[in-house]
Amino acid sequence: MTAAPQALRTGRPTKPPRSLAVPIGMVAFLVITWLALSEEFGIGLDIGDLIEDAGRGVDIWAEFLEPNWAFVPQTFGPMLETFQMAVIAAFVGCAVALPISFLASRVTSPNLATYLADRGILSIVRAIPDILYALIFVAAVGIGPLAGMLALFFFNIGVVAKLLSETVDGVDTGPIEATRAAGGNRIQTTRWAVMPQILPNYVAYSLYTFELNIRASTVIGIVGAGGIGQLLNAQRAFFRYDNLAVIIFELFVFVFVIELFSIWVRRRLV
Amino acid sequence: MIRFDNASVVYPGGVRALTDLTLEIPDGQMMVIVGLSGAGKSTLIRAINGLVPLTSGDLTIDGVSVRHARPKQLREIRSKIGMIFQTFNLVKRTSVLNNVLMGRLHDAGTMRSVLGWYREQDVEIAMQALERVDIVEKAYVRASNLSGGQQQRVGIARALAQEPKIILADEPVASLDPPTSHVVMRDLQRINRDLGITTIVNLHFLDLAKVYGDRIIGMRQGGLVYDGPGSEADEHVFRDIYGRSLTADDVLGEPAAAPA
Amino acid sequence: MSVRTKASRPVAPSHAKRNASLIAVALLFIWAAVSIEADWTELADVPRGIARLFYRMFLETGPDWTYLGRAGEAMLDSIWIAWVGTIIGAAISLPIGFFGARNVSSGLASNIVRQVLNAIRAFPELVLVIVVFIPIAGLTPVAGALAIGLHSVGTLGKLTAEVVEGIDSGPVEAARAAGGRPLQVQRWGVLPQVLPEIVAFWLYRFEINIRAAAVLGVVGAGGIGTIVQETINYRRYDKAGVAIIVVIVATILIDIISGWVRRRIIAGSDAKHVSSEVLEEPTFAAAGAGKIDTDAG
Repeated sequence: MTAAPQALRTGRPTKPPRSLAVPIGMVAFLVITWLALSEEFGIGLDIGDLIEDAGRGVDIWAEFLEPNWAFVPQTFGPMLETFQMAVIAAFVGCAVALPISFLASRVTSPNLATYLADRGILSIVRAIPDILYALIFVAAVGIGPLAGMLALFFFNIGVVAKLLSETVDGVDTGPIEATRAAGGNRIQTTRWAVMPQILPNYVAYSLYTFELNIRASTVIGIVGAGGIGQLLNAQRAFFRYDNLAVIIFELFVFVFVIELFSIWVRRRLV
Repeated sequence: MIRFDNASVVYPGGVRALTDLTLEIPDGQMMVIVGLSGAGKSTLIRAINGLVPLTSGDLTIDGVSVRHARPKQLREIRSKIGMIFQTFNLVKRTSVLNNVLMGRLHDAGTMRSVLGWYREQDVEIAMQALERVDIVEKAYVRASNLSGGQQQRVGIARALAQEPKIILADEPVASLDPPTSHVVMRDLQRINRDLGITTIVNLHFLDLAKVYGDRIIGMRQGGLVYDGPGSEADEHVFRDIYGRSLTADDVLGEPAAAPA
Repeated sequence: MSVRTKASRPVAPSHAKRNASLIAVALLFIWAAVSIEADWTELADVPRGIARLFYRMFLETGPDWTYLGRAGEAMLDSIWIAWVGTIIGAAISLPIGFFGARNVSSGLASNIVRQVLNAIRAFPELVLVIVVFIPIAGLTPVAGALAIGLHSVGTLGKLTAEVVEGIDSGPVEAARAAGGRPLQVQRWGVLPQVLPEIVAFWLYRFEINIRAAAVLGVVGAGGIGTIVQETINYRRYDKAGVAIIVVIVATILIDIISGWVRRRIIAGSDAKHVSSEVLEEPTFAAAGAGKIDTDAG
């Protein structure tokens, strides 16, 4: 049996050095979390206080569970306005986002400068949450649905252009090569080689945007940009939680229906 | 006539894909290019329509330089060169007819083509192209519903719809089974003979090259190592081109079925 | 083979359905545009209004850079809120996500869990904060963090469940065959496969929550939203401009850092179906993420 141990003699490999990335990441995480939770720097999360205060909340929640259905007719006008705003902003926003997204993709953008500029602008547009847009436009054009639609419009472009440009990045480039080989120009190539490939996604993103708009209207209405948000804010200010419950329920239903519709449409499109 | 004059292509990484190539291809010829992967076949074909730009030297088609062509001119040149791809490169989600109409893009103009309002004559040309490759009954079928061989025939129809003077085919049958490969190659041969279109094909199946190529050129490491008629190319010749002995992968294996 | 008969050309199919839908959509838009109670003539004044605002913010007296400190603090508050909210969401959604996966818990149980998650997701953070958390915690950042946390549970839970459902069952079987108890099977058979992608989701959610936190400021739950609203309400546009710049810069920076970390994590893993939510999804506030199916066409 002296031959066998010879074969086993290959040395055990040394354990490769553990990358530093994970420990550093964990330390950073802990530090940031500690900062975030602390009273001084952060938000001062005190579980004890929370549990005490929870009691207060229960009364309010009780009010919530008794929606005031008589309030429903009063919601019709604002809900309609929300719907109209969502439609208009989504329609125009998605239309404008199409060329913007083509410029923001390496596949369809004419040159590097345009590509970078477009992506840069898109980053900025996306960095502003919808409510900030609402505040800005209310300050610029006054309260009302016009400000709301403008806010949603920019918000939509940020959402759709980013999604779409990344879809364009992933298309099959074969047809593009074929179109250029046949003498097609950039516009023709985009229209016939790229657009057919992204159409289902485009429809999905548009419906998604419409849904986002409905939800966003709760927020932008609070600052006066029209829609159900204003009514919602009024109810909150007067502590009418029973009415608030009605509004929230309606939104819930609305969004649910849109989602069903969206699934139906997408299935038919593929 | 297509003319390469000391043409070279060097890719950004430093790879020399074509070295000092000088070559004349007369009108109406059916030329087959063979060589190992990376030998430069694909580069040569793509240089002809400018998809791969030359690094030095020149390439002229009927006296017009492709290398120095301005973008608009280049599109004009390309509109008269049809190209067929190994992976067909059809737009899967749209109909066969729409795919073939892509061959009419240049002549139809941007406005019409973007809106899809092709002229009657364009649609007629597209239909005739489909008839020539015997697949017109599928005109309104979605491209993705076709078999590989059918898709390639649509690719040929698309090239034909351009009413081209030259047809380039980059490994047109590499993704197809043997019987279908013969059908496609026969179609290309027929088109070359009936319509007098200069046809240049990349193949890596040597038996196909021999059967269908009037003229065979062999490439190795970016340079020309053989140039002669298809009838004279035998195993010896191919072994020289490849620089190694042949394997089963190099031949299709199945002879063509008797012609219809 | 015999002579092939020449095939006759087929008839072009009718596009009636498609055209009808397009017309319907167009009509919907026209109806909305016409019937909305907004004065469209004001549209012409919009560029001027924006220009005037821009002027007041950045050109009239120049932005008030002394405000940078205050704005920065507020932005930091929003970041903490988002951070804590994301952690809460991540921690709670991890086990819940597992239970929501069909291959972990039974079909019925996982279904119930998914429906609950859907219900939670339907409520924008703003609604949650108004309805649930301000009554409890008052107008404080804590309320905002909790609202964001709860909403994130909804989204992250769904995404986690989807990832868990998509795993390779090989390692799970191996763990079971080796005699592992259910928790061990999850820990060693499932978790290593899904963790990178899930962590990427957490980071992505953090980016979105930054925006949500900014929004919550508007109802007084702390952060940069309050600042922007106040400065605009008091017409201190020079300060508002600075605040907006702070938001943009901070958000973009965080997006870049988070995106970089996310890509490193995914690249270093064998994540199979890197869904678009991880790498591509939009950013927005007060709305549920994760609704796009990556297999939409």
